[in-house]
Amino acid sequence: MNAIPELQHQFQDAVLAGTLVPVLATGHFEIYVNAYRGRLAEALRDNYPVLYRAMGDHAFSQLACSYVAEHPSRFRSIRWFGDDLTAFAEAHPDLLPHPALADLARMDWALRGAFDAADSDTLSAADVATIAVEKWPGQCFVLQAAVRLITLQWNVEPIWQALNQDENAATDAPQALQHSLLVWRREFECHWRSLDAREATALLVIADGGTFAEVCESLDEDANPAQTAAMYLRQWIEHGLLEKIL
Amino acid sequence: MKTELQGFGLGLRTDHYRDFIDASPRVDWLEVISENYLVPGGKPLYFLDRIRRDYPMVMHGVSLSIGGTDPFDADYLKQLKALVDRIQPAWISDHLCWTGTESLNLHDLLPMPYTHAALRHLTARLQQVQDYLGRPLLMENVSSYVTYPSDEMSEWEFIAELAMCSGCDLLLDVNNVYVSSVNHGFDPHVFIDAMPAQHVRQIHLAGHEDHGSYIIDTHDHPVSDAVWDLYAHTIRRLGMVPTMIERDDNIPPLAELITELDAARRLAEQTLAAKERAA
Repeated sequence: MNAIPELQHQFQDAVLAGTLVPVLATGHFEIYVNAYRGRLAEALRDNYPVLYRAMGDHAFSQLACSYVAEHPSRFRSIRWFGDDLTAFAEAHPDLLPHPALADLARMDWALRGAFDAADSDTLSAADVATIAVEKWPGQCFVLQAAVRLITLQWNVEPIWQALNQDENAATDAPQALQHSLLVWRREFECHWRSLDAREATALLVIADGGTFAEVCESLDEDANPAQTAAMYLRQWIEHGLLEKIL
Repeated sequence: MKTELQGFGLGLRTDHYRDFIDASPRVDWLEVISENYLVPGGKPLYFLDRIRRDYPMVMHGVSLSIGGTDPFDADYLKQLKALVDRIQPAWISDHLCWTGTESLNLHDLLPMPYTHAALRHLTARLQQVQDYLGRPLLMENVSSYVTYPSDEMSEWEFIAELAMCSGCDLLLDVNNVYVSSVNHGFDPHVFIDAMPAQHVRQIHLAGHEDHGSYIIDTHDHPVSDAVWDLYAHTIRRLGMVPTMIERDDNIPPLAELITELDAARRLAEQTLAAKERAA
């Protein structure tokens, strides 16, 4: 028997199972058992700060405990722990006092991802002005690494904003409203805004590597698709969403 | 070749980024938690680069799992090496522990069994990492709350032997020595006296939480009187060693930590002066 792997296997199993007195070690084993759960729950609070505020300590702790029990960490850095919390919460509605909380989780995670996403150059209007007229239809653009486009089922943004500013803020009940939320980072500050369906569709075309002509096609119900596409493009450049032309 | 780094440092924490940039406080060097900067970009790396311009740095990792039995995480090592290239630390340290097995990470610093087999295991793994990183690693003693019936030697014998076998250097955490001494009932001075002086490159000081019959290493309090006393003993025994204060929670204003760091500086200087007078 190789003693070290066996010892570590038993130790880890006991921590994961919450066994307080394993036979393999003597002393205060419960400190490791408690520290494991406490540390991972704290990581979830850090990664989902507004969800935590919205749920309160008790409900969030129950969600965190259940998640930790089913999702032992495989990450080197605890910063990434909790990547599946939204899906987990949706699959366990008993742990979520209101279904809109899943959207707060989505928004928290998207902003957390934008915060330390890779730095990128920013495409300027002057860069775009160099594109020859005949090249426009086939022109592709690259989004910055920090850009996130997520779909929400509820209008949770006012709640997110209020709780982000003040943990005790009074908030109205969210209304069901399927829409897209754009998250991005400019310099070192993260931003977000909700998008109407047309702009979200157009931006998705860019995200998928589509051409300017395909952006226009995605807007075929619009009176003037090319003009609308150009307007969106200007706005995306102003907000610093684009990294470069391809 | 050994990179020289001297004096008294602090752990760089996000709360103090602006203070280091705006006020250039009198801290000789900074220790950064490697994992905090193994991210693609954004604020963490910006501040790291900005502050690195003004302060020497050392890197301190928490998830190498040198004592683990899984193969090393190649992606983690690659990122670690990239960070080394980026900030050129005076040295890199991690903990003499394991953090998980079977691809899991318990995100804790778990004690090794103090056996000859563990020494061989660690020596081989240290060699592997040091070869990959192209530089020596410092190994830090951890606080522990359990011992294993399979132990064949004391922790201090184990560490001294490891330094001899592997040639690794040591980051001696004086608070961890004290915490473990209370938890396991040994004399912390015996531990300190067993440390091979030529291998001790850095010292950590930190606060802990006293639960009466045991102590938890929390890094959320000022350094305790007992740890100050043990630090003075350490300096008498080892001479001046680069020393820093670790604070990871309940983080006070930077000025408060600098006052505590100045106390460490004074204590070390007074201890050495007294030793010289007595000689």
